[in-house]
Amino acid sequence: MKFGALVLGATGFAILSLLIDRSPDGVISLAWPDASFARFRFTALAVGIIVGAALAISGVLLQALLRNPLASPYILGVSNGAGLGVMFAMYLSYSMSGGELGIAGQTGPSIIGGLATLAIVYALGQRRGWLDPVSLVLIGVVVSTICGAGILFFQHMVPTGLRGQFTTWIMGHLPQGTPLSMLVVCGSITFIALIISMIMGKAMDAATLGDDEARSVGLAIGPLRVMLFGIAGLLAALTVALAGPIGFVGLISPHGARLILGPRHTMLVPGAALFGIMLVVGSYVGSRLIDVGAGQMPIGIFTALIGGPAFIWLLLSGRGQA
Amino acid sequence: MSLVIENLSFAYGDVQALQDVSVEAAPGRLTTIIGPNASGKSTLLRCIIGRLKPTRGRVLLDGQASHQLKPRHLAQRVAYVAQRSVVSAAFSIREVVELGRYALPPDHHKVMEAIERLDLSDIATRPYAALSVGQQQRVMLARAVAQLDDEGILLLDEPTSAMDLKHQFDTMKLIQELVSEKVTVLMVLHDLSLAASQGQDAWLLNRGKLVASGIVDDVLDTNRLNDVFEVPFEWLVSKSGDRRLAAMTQQGPMG
Repeated sequence: MKFGALVLGATGFAILSLLIDRSPDGVISLAWPDASFARFRFTALAVGIIVGAALAISGVLLQALLRNPLASPYILGVSNGAGLGVMFAMYLSYSMSGGELGIAGQTGPSIIGGLATLAIVYALGQRRGWLDPVSLVLIGVVVSTICGAGILFFQHMVPTGLRGQFTTWIMGHLPQGTPLSMLVVCGSITFIALIISMIMGKAMDAATLGDDEARSVGLAIGPLRVMLFGIAGLLAALTVALAGPIGFVGLISPHGARLILGPRHTMLVPGAALFGIMLVVGSYVGSRLIDVGAGQMPIGIFTALIGGPAFIWLLLSGRGQA
Repeated sequence: MSLVIENLSFAYGDVQALQDVSVEAAPGRLTTIIGPNASGKSTLLRCIIGRLKPTRGRVLLDGQASHQLKPRHLAQRVAYVAQRSVVSAAFSIREVVELGRYALPPDHHKVMEAIERLDLSDIATRPYAALSVGQQQRVMLARAVAQLDDEGILLLDEPTSAMDLKHQFDTMKLIQELVSEKVTVLMVLHDLSLAASQGQDAWLLNRGKLVASGIVDDVLDTNRLNDVFEVPFEWLVSKSGDRRLAAMTQQGPMG
């Protein structure tokens, strides 16, 4: 029943994202798009579904394994690390050939940047050979800030005319021209990650005990952490390649799903994925409805406007305590 | 089930926590592990569950080195309750107790029985995080009881430190029942009076070394305790003939 409500919510936003039409003079109506537009809207929707689900699953995995409800790919630096990889590649592409780097060309640098950042944070977050969740988050915040500075550095290095393109990417958007092959690859990876995460749901439940007690009930916490961190990093990096760094979805979606479905991870993983889809596609709908400044608003602004206050609420309500 | 510790040493970096400890747990008996702060008691339990890899020596569970055992196999033999337990998800009491069966076949009856034995039936659906520390200790003990099979080993690190007197009494009674069911219990205690009254055997640690082990009355020799704890101890005898170990202050016996 509760799970059904999430399915209904995600489906509702998905349909709305296809039907909303804004005329050049700003009139908003609901209509099935012309064939020429439909393909673009379906592409943006598919990107939104993949990005929302992937960020949310990534957040669930990180929060479970770090035993820290404030953990997310954004806070651990994975998103900014992936972003730095993309930005560096975009800068190289511009300086060597003067051309733009396509979305497919962003995937490799994004994955390398995201996973390299996670590996650095993982290595520096250990104490006496054991992973320390608190150190990991603190190191993540610092590494994320450094990567953020790197992103700004490369943005500064390009001519003024190109900065607009870089800035749009940094704020997060759902591109309508993503190649189908990339959608299939990223969608498949996200779906496989969803299934693996659901299968590992019971193990994540046991991981909520301390490391000592988790081992004593039969959980091999070390290999589980490495595997699920790898999946979380890969998913977050994919989303950056697809849509740029989008904040707060990985943090808020697990909490939203927990409030509705409870803490057991086997149900929490798909529930959070649906919540993430609602958040990203809902933000996309919002961006289609509001047309201010230089046209359509980047969805990263919407997710930050929703996620920022939610983050503060988590801290103040005590739900954000480790 | 046998538990043998052979020449066990462990260091946290430069800090030597355990030095050349050799001792054997008597099966089906209650052994209390006592010693001053930082004497290596909790480290010893963490070595037994294989969480810490010894720098020298080994812990053998039925002849197999514990740190080489797969956690799944370890869970079939040993249950452990840490000094400070955490559960980072909003699980109910029943859900936490069920975690004890994570690597074992599901057993609803065993879970409910453990909840009942720890007097948690009335609050089984309440969130673990909303409980007092003493109640949380009972939940973690219930989790360990749900995990234990016959003739298993139960490791407890200060299991009653935050409990009120009634539940301390009830918990000790339960632990004695488990011992009578052939469970081997190793229990770290700071309260020497409790160790003296409840334990059958005792291991006394000081600065990472095993000072004495054996029958509890032999180990708790007052001269030895005076040396280790640097506090004078005396056995007090009541009119009914009951003996009680107490640290002595200028005002009289402590506690």
